[in-house]
Amino acid sequence: MSTPTITRPEWSTVIDPVLQKELEQHVLVTSWDKMLGMVDTVYNWGRRSSLWPLGFGLACCAIEMICTASSRFDIARFGAEVFRGSPRQADVMIVSGTVTKTMMPMIARLYDQMPEPKYVMAMGACASGGGPFKEGYNVVSGIDKYLPVDVYIPGCPPTPQALLNGLIMLQRKIDGERFTQAPWYRGDVERDVPIPVLGPDLIDVRLLEVTAEKTAQGLVEAREETLVKPTLIPAPQPEVPEVVEAVSDAPVAPKAPSKLDLLRAQAAGTAAPAAAEGTEPAKPAAKPAGKPAKKVKKAIARPSLVWLGDAGLEELAARINTRFSDGTATIIQAGLLIPSERLVAVCHYLRDDNLIKYDYLASLQSVHFEDCIEVNYHLESTTTPGKLIQLRVRTSEKEGEGEVPSVNAIWRGADFQEREVYDMMGIRFTGHPELKRILMWDGYAYWPLRKDFLEPYYEGPTKVFESRVEDGRHFRSEEFNPYGSNTKIPKDYTGWNTLDSGDDTKGKTLLPTGVEISELGTDQFMVSMGPQHPSTHGVFRMNLRVDGETIVGLKPVMGYMHRNHEKIGERNTFLMNFPFTDRLDYLTSMGNNFGYALAIEQLMGDEAKPPERAEYIRIIMAELTRVASHMWSIGFLLNDLGAFFTPALYAIEERELILDLFEWASGSRMMCNYFRFGGVAFDLPKGWIERCRGLVNNRLDGKIDELDRYLTKNEIVIDRAKGIGVLTAKEAINFSTAGPILRASGVEYDVRRAAPYGIYDRFDFKVVTGKNGDVYDRYLVRLEEMRESVKILKQACRDIPEGPILPGKKSYQIKVPAGEAYSRVENPKGELGYYVYADGSGTAYRYHVRSPSFINLTSLEQMCLGHSIADVVGILGSLDIVLGEVDR
Amino acid sequence: MNVACDWAFPLVWAQQSELDSIPWLKWIIVLAVVFFGIFPGIVAYTVWGERKVAARFQDRIGPNRVGPLGLLQPIADAIKLITKEDLVPRSADRWVHLIAPVLILVSAFLVLPVIPFGVGLAAVNPPSGLIYLIAVSSLSALGIFLAGWSSRNKYSLLGAMRAVAQLVSYEVPQVLSIVPIILWAGSLSMVTIFDKQVLYGWFLFSPPGMLAFVTLTIANIAEVNRTPFDLPEAESEIIAGYHTEYSGMRFGLFFLAEYLSVFAVSCLGTAIFLGGGTLPWPLTGEPVVTLGGGETLFAMLLLNLPLIGIFMAKVSLYIFLMFWIRATLPRLRVDQLMAFAWKFMVPLCIINIFISAVWYECVIRPSKPNYLLGWGVTLPLVVVSIIGVLALYRSSMKAEPVELTTGSRRRSVVRSVS
Ligand code: SF4
Repeated sequence: MSTPTITRPEWSTVIDPVLQKELEQHVLVTSWDKMLGMVDTVYNWGRRSSLWPLGFGLACCAIEMICTASSRFDIARFGAEVFRGSPRQADVMIVSGTVTKTMMPMIARLYDQMPEPKYVMAMGACASGGGPFKEGYNVVSGIDKYLPVDVYIPGCPPTPQALLNGLIMLQRKIDGERFTQAPWYRGDVERDVPIPVLGPDLIDVRLLEVTAEKTAQGLVEAREETLVKPTLIPAPQPEVPEVVEAVSDAPVAPKAPSKLDLLRAQAAGTAAPAAAEGTEPAKPAAKPAGKPAKKVKKAIARPSLVWLGDAGLEELAARINTRFSDGTATIIQAGLLIPSERLVAVCHYLRDDNLIKYDYLASLQSVHFEDCIEVNYHLESTTTPGKLIQLRVRTSEKEGEGEVPSVNAIWRGADFQEREVYDMMGIRFTGHPELKRILMWDGYAYWPLRKDFLEPYYEGPTKVFESRVEDGRHFRSEEFNPYGSNTKIPKDYTGWNTLDSGDDTKGKTLLPTGVEISELGTDQFMVSMGPQHPSTHGVFRMNLRVDGETIVGLKPVMGYMHRNHEKIGERNTFLMNFPFTDRLDYLTSMGNNFGYALAIEQLMGDEAKPPERAEYIRIIMAELTRVASHMWSIGFLLNDLGAFFTPALYAIEERELILDLFEWASGSRMMCNYFRFGGVAFDLPKGWIERCRGLVNNRLDGKIDELDRYLTKNEIVIDRAKGIGVLTAKEAINFSTAGPILRASGVEYDVRRAAPYGIYDRFDFKVVTGKNGDVYDRYLVRLEEMRESVKILKQACRDIPEGPILPGKKSYQIKVPAGEAYSRVENPKGELGYYVYADGSGTAYRYHVRSPSFINLTSLEQMCLGHSIADVVGILGSLDIVLGEVDR
Repeated sequence: MNVACDWAFPLVWAQQSELDSIPWLKWIIVLAVVFFGIFPGIVAYTVWGERKVAARFQDRIGPNRVGPLGLLQPIADAIKLITKEDLVPRSADRWVHLIAPVLILVSAFLVLPVIPFGVGLAAVNPPSGLIYLIAVSSLSALGIFLAGWSSRNKYSLLGAMRAVAQLVSYEVPQVLSIVPIILWAGSLSMVTIFDKQVLYGWFLFSPPGMLAFVTLTIANIAEVNRTPFDLPEAESEIIAGYHTEYSGMRFGLFFLAEYLSVFAVSCLGTAIFLGGGTLPWPLTGEPVVTLGGGETLFAMLLLNLPLIGIFMAKVSLYIFLMFWIRATLPRLRVDQLMAFAWKFMVPLCIINIFISAVWYECVIRPSKPNYLLGWGVTLPLVVVSIIGVLALYRSSMKAEPVELTTGSRRRSVVRSVS
């Protein structure tokens, strides 16, 4: 390995543990050494038997870590169930999940805060080496770049058994340690790790000088010169007959057998300019002048499967044009292009005065075209659902020049989404109250979702990268990057000496302002809750301003798990992206698959119509997922309210049974990767449906009743949950909340009913709504929804026919016509949307996920003000966020 | 009393004699063994018990790899904690930080000497034992506050704030629910209280006694910071509360102190309500009545072994009750916690004092106790007062929506300023 991994240098002698045990057992104490040996035995035995993990989880792997503590696996057997929230009391840090740059300083700090002797376990592919998200621009390629790792646990995610095995390995390691040589009792061994800094990128302070030097040389820019860049396509124009000729597949790489060598030379920092000269042809390839553009198959223009319809849209455009001046609304690809100066007025009109009141901003995203950046809005009406429309606004493509008026005042749900667009594309939203970066940190040097931003590990516009397969050899991304790590810093960066390890770059820009509450003249103080906190459900953070325990200000800080799903999704071929969707909301992988499959199927049209059996399987999977997810959510809501894990563990038991079914059908407990365009990956194994029937008909109802019996009427639950975190129906809609949150506020909006997908229209189920929109109602809605899911499951398991599971043959070469699609499914967390812009090539031109967890958080601040810290935890629990989906 | 007896019961001896030097020494040795050997041992296994019990409640197995049934788990934990690095945060108030856990531990230890584990088995028997007990147990509030304050950590501070508010509030119902006992026993001495129960049966067995026992139990749970009153160290809210910044053995001391006070309050409850080591009603006063009286070593052993056994069984049950509650209930919020103490517990306890006076008049004062009358009069009183206070409390909590609107008024203030 060429990159230095940090190991503990201090262990010099390795004694075969078996031999040592043998010795210890059969040899009497005859010397000082043996005596010490006995001390060692006791010393090591004590420590190995009492490994308390730090209770912090990063990503999907953390779920498996929690499952390890559940009744089926029970890490308590090893005495290791004492998950400590405070690093001061922990012995082993289980790095469970993707280590992001945003989170890295926090992890290093936590590590430093742990008392010696301390151990680190890298759980999962991500923590060990970057894993599936390695190419992301915000991902650290393995925790061992910064911390000394004792045990690596492979897997994605490692099963609980694997984690237990890792624990046993760690115990073995401890058995081999010697009291006398223990480095932590030696003053001369520095074991604290320096905390990396968030500057223009994550900067390892140990390598600060080298980094600065390499940056000044401009090696990154020089290397990027040589690479094939993604092709930008022009934005679609209104003239319908004159079809925009999108460039087809990715441009062919220049025939340069020396490319890899060149890159390697590049990485080594030698002869860069000369080499760059040689690959000049790469540039023209971006604009294939000579190559006659292939006629790309185009998908039917429609924003989503269920929408207003062509006629309705034309009529609406005409109405807007008469209401405002002509040319206000132009129809482009079934969306309305609105000039940016009239956007706010039109949006007001659409929300308040239009026949169909578009009161719900479903999704907001942006696409970077050759000639403009387009921000587009999907609007839906909760009063007459199923009438989705799409608005487009275009602005300058130049970096830092784009500007669009904010619609935050019309739909407050736009708040975070606009910030996200700003963060990713650099478009300024005029009138937005707090336009700060949301996923990355202020000070990050790039706008990562622009098409011309190339990640540090970029090698080509489409995976599979050549370097992985050339001549049967493979190279690691690190070898190509001039810094030898996932780093990219602009050449002209100069602020090196402003970098400070103690700086909280990400959080400090988002401090809630002081507010006087006219009571006693008490002092207020700031508490940072998270990103490592037992109740933030992952690496979420809230900056709280409290007066005593009353919240007077709250700012969510997120992005600690931003692992660049969308950027990676644009490099992936369509099929390749399935497993990544699993990892969005890692509790509901089947549901995520469903949404993604629908998006691409919408583009592919009838060619990818799933056969009957596949449709049923999909519904069964999606509903099982809902039960599992709601179980989890209710269990952990109770945990947040202070119950000592009991409800959570009982809920996890049921979830395990469902995961068994998933594993049987798809091969994986959590990351199922089971759906395919037009069907599912495998047929159900023999006996599966019987077992599923058994679970659905005989068990789940009873278990839901059990939860109901013990929790719903519990005095303390009622006291803690009723009237807390209230969101009125109007607010809930305005904040674009979705799923149980929206319905708990009494809005009867469920995508399964509002815009039926799959075969949901055939099933008999109720859309559950609450009344008060408080924590308690959200809990109740989830509980009832599980009942409804079981109802659907019973019907589906009864009616499922035999037959094929894919429309054609299994295929790995998916041809997706050019076009635009927005699919939405009712995931357990709410409306999950996938926006895909395809240009006819093998990858998505733009790929965006409308994540319910993320958008639901918009209302958090409003819900929490005036309540106490304890309530914030409960409210957050009732939102049921999953960080994989919040930060993507 | 013969010489052998001195060795066996120096405690008894010590309080009766004028303490010349040699018995003194023995006394100290025994104290040291009991207090630094047996009690921590009991505590360690309470922790083990909690882990096992919680595991069973959660359909798990619990520790079973470290020794048979995981029995060596506490020892391993102790070794680990002792050898762990002892960090003091840089900006902490060093000395206060170091002293705080000791203070809490001492407070928990100091409760134990006055508990009569058997006949003559109270290390000291001051005439005002109960007052002493309450006084030293409230010392822990100080320790907790110092711990939270000195850590220079906001979570610690929040934990400390919560702890002080909670401990001070719940001390009131705790004391008030002991008052009936004082009334009935006519003494503050724990030993006298024990003797009276040998005479009259457990103080639990009367309507006001039961009510007082329940309130005392609730207050006890709050005093030792256990679910649903574990706010000062509410894991899901403020990480580890006041001991967030403690590591190694110093954290271990908190652990020890917490479980020691669990043990201590269980002993208290057992001693004053559950008749110490005696058996319940039909066998009132057993085994003291049958086995007592002998002065020989053998007789003392014969009497005290079953006494201690029964005492410990009761204590275990009491502790188990706490585990049970912990494994099943969520946590209250600060304001609810305070409201519960002041609006429900305190009024109820005060009313109960009057009811116990009635019981005293009916049962204890007359030379021939009239149990029938006692039950007949006090039971309805107790029931009525519980229902009444509960209704009042409920209606006061019904006012919550009002409070919420003040909350939203506050919110509007918030909005207009920001
Ligand atoms: S992608 Fe998720 S499951 Fe896979 S290794 Fe990374 S954190 Fe674990």
